[in-house]
Amino acid sequence: MNMKDFLAGLSDFWNEFRRDKAGLVGLAILTVALLTIIFEPLIVPYGEVNSRWRDINYWEDNSSGAPPAWTNLFSSAKKAVTTTLSKPKVEEIEGDGVSIFRYEFGYDYRYDEPPLDLVFRAEGWGTFPLLVSVERPDGQTIDLYQYVAEGLDGDDLRVTLANDSKSAAYQFLAANASEADMINFDSYSIKPMQIMFAEATPTMATASTPLEGEYKFVVQTMIMSEDVRIEKPHFTVVGAVSGALGSDTGKRDLFSGLVAGLKWALLIGFVTSFISVLLGVLYGIVSAYFGGAIDTTMNFVYELFVSMPVLPILIVISAVFKPSIWFIIAALVIFSWTGPVKTVRSMAMQIKEETYIEAARALGAGKWRIIFRHMLPLLIPYSFASMALAVPGAILYEASVSLLGLGDATITTWGQILHDALSSGAVLNGLWWWVVPPGLSIAIMGMSFAFIGSAMDKILHPKLRTR
Amino acid sequence: MYIWFALKRIFRGVVMFTLLMFVFSALFNTVSEKTQRAQIREEVTMKVNRLKDLKPEQMEIFRAEETERLIKMYRLDRPVWERIMVRALNTVTFRFGNSTIMKSSGGSRLVVDIIGEALPRTILLFTSAIAIELVIGVWLGFKKAQKPGSALDRTTSIVTMVVYGLPSWWLGMMLMMTFVYTIKIFPSGGILSVPPPENGLLRMLDVLWHMALPMITLLLIGFWGLAYIVRNIVLGILQEDYIMSARARGVPENKVLFGHTLRSAAPPLVTMGLLSLLASISGAILFEGIFSWPGLGNLYWVAVQQNDIPVLLGDLAITTGIYLGGLVFLDLIYGFLDPRIKVGGKA
Repeated sequence: MNMKDFLAGLSDFWNEFRRDKAGLVGLAILTVALLTIIFEPLIVPYGEVNSRWRDINYWEDNSSGAPPAWTNLFSSAKKAVTTTLSKPKVEEIEGDGVSIFRYEFGYDYRYDEPPLDLVFRAEGWGTFPLLVSVERPDGQTIDLYQYVAEGLDGDDLRVTLANDSKSAAYQFLAANASEADMINFDSYSIKPMQIMFAEATPTMATASTPLEGEYKFVVQTMIMSEDVRIEKPHFTVVGAVSGALGSDTGKRDLFSGLVAGLKWALLIGFVTSFISVLLGVLYGIVSAYFGGAIDTTMNFVYELFVSMPVLPILIVISAVFKPSIWFIIAALVIFSWTGPVKTVRSMAMQIKEETYIEAARALGAGKWRIIFRHMLPLLIPYSFASMALAVPGAILYEASVSLLGLGDATITTWGQILHDALSSGAVLNGLWWWVVPPGLSIAIMGMSFAFIGSAMDKILHPKLRTR
Repeated sequence: MYIWFALKRIFRGVVMFTLLMFVFSALFNTVSEKTQRAQIREEVTMKVNRLKDLKPEQMEIFRAEETERLIKMYRLDRPVWERIMVRALNTVTFRFGNSTIMKSSGGSRLVVDIIGEALPRTILLFTSAIAIELVIGVWLGFKKAQKPGSALDRTTSIVTMVVYGLPSWWLGMMLMMTFVYTIKIFPSGGILSVPPPENGLLRMLDVLWHMALPMITLLLIGFWGLAYIVRNIVLGILQEDYIMSARARGVPENKVLFGHTLRSAAPPLVTMGLLSLLASISGAILFEGIFSWPGLGNLYWVAVQQNDIPVLLGDLAITTGIYLGGLVFLDLIYGFLDPRIKVGGKA
């Protein structure tokens, strides 16, 4: 088979494939998936999702168990969305020997329900004071929190205003709300976020209305020597709704997890189906070509493997050996190469008797040359369809093993997200944004490969075609 | 002779099972011996604690002797190949030993009892599901093959592909979220209400009520693939010349379909159909855990969570046995339906 024939065959194949709408849909989904994997760093909001999925510190500023941001479209009370304010307006006021740095973060608040928390974060060096305040749209300024950071050396600075600004918020409330209302409150029981984002009215303690508009969060510090500095200052607005697909109860962003899981699903699917189908096709050809005792033995080994229920064995192996993802893929290959054997063997039986094989043998071609040069190329197209159809099975098996909590803990897969959801009671508590997307992704990937595979199958087995 | 054919097939199945048990025994040798040694330690400690009037030296001697006796008894002092053989033979004869943590509802720590309790429940759920799936699947497959390319054929084929990679346990989770916790019409799991109803009839209804949602889940996914396989087999036969000649002779369509076609379609139909169901069920084993249906699949969940290796291995042996039994059963039906098989004796 030379290059020209191959290209002609390919273009014939494409001409037929293109007429199958389902096949095209499958191909489109696969293309989108591949593009997502290529551009993952640009799409994912949390860049270190792959290495720090199980690191609770990485996720601590996100909201916990929050629905997706777009659920605001369907609810009457709009909830604040989790966002990061990372581009402050920086002003430096020089004094004699000291300079005052002023970071101003603008935040446009247009919601009915205030954020759950406001977190200020930075990396600091040396000793310096810190003053956090807010300028509200109605012109009032509240000094929220003061604090002196001492002897830092690139350490994380973290100020959570829901806790740290309680006394300031209480004073602000006491200055505005009527005394009758204030009886029921003390500086521990109040909710600073509610107060900060409410109109300053006498009734604000009991019936607050949200104050919409442009808020300015100001962080001021005094730099007294050369080696004192602050880097990467940013605010996180921790909203009651978060991200494209919400967050789980471990505060992890589910969209990031889902995108991170995509490449593993495809990798598991592709590698497993490619190797196992290739092995199976070769096995079938060898078994058919040699015949006799070799055929009988190979048949017996084949039957032995077919008699094993794959998933239960996989579960026990994973429970006993605590495998890595490569081990799981290897195990999947070991148990799923049997798929194409029977069909290939019967096809190879026919091909073996063709006259051109006889001619090749008469010309002195060795058996492996005949197998690889004359028989395998004829069966390769068939194996492509099998490969596509074997992908969903592999993805499903890995997901099932991970669902039991037996997956590779160093990576993120959809099955593991579902395991976490199940063990944290997401089903019980109706956290649908945690349960639906991973399973749906598995189903959609499976569907697209089924579409592609059956479109190929129809081209390669014309008898199945509808009239 | 059908009886010889059947005996040969059953014997072959037993050989396969024994062979697989040897493979498993070798594969999981290290871990099962580790648990066995731990069990021996536990047993000896328990005995030592019971003997209070002994001096410490005597106690040590007793402990050493007892440990040695048990190690001898479990043949842990023999060479590796012998240990593997013995363990495989024990498995084949269903002597799985004691569990490490789990207990049956009767309080027994024998793995056989724990599995024996779960087995009927799995069989109850899956055989009912298979029976319904078979009926719907075959009927739908025939309908599809009758008018290939029709709206029905095309839409059901698309649905088949849509559910192709759909995990049944995920569908179970979704249905539970909807019909158990949001719209509260089904129980959240188990096989009987707590406390179970006294009356026999009410008890049966209670089981059915608990079975409903798992069944619906299995059915929603189950029969599509089967219908597709049936369609392809039947379609292949409908293109044969004798069908065309039957139609040309004016044989009524229904007779062509269920007389001529079904007769020759039956053998591959039964094999392919049951095989696909068997495979899908071995894949659906996990979904019992979602519904806490206390069968063999749920046993995997519990055993994995409690890291109970003997139960896990016993469960695997039984699941493999059932799977193999299903395959042998298929061969028997095939031979019954297709006379050529049993005469030739070669498949």
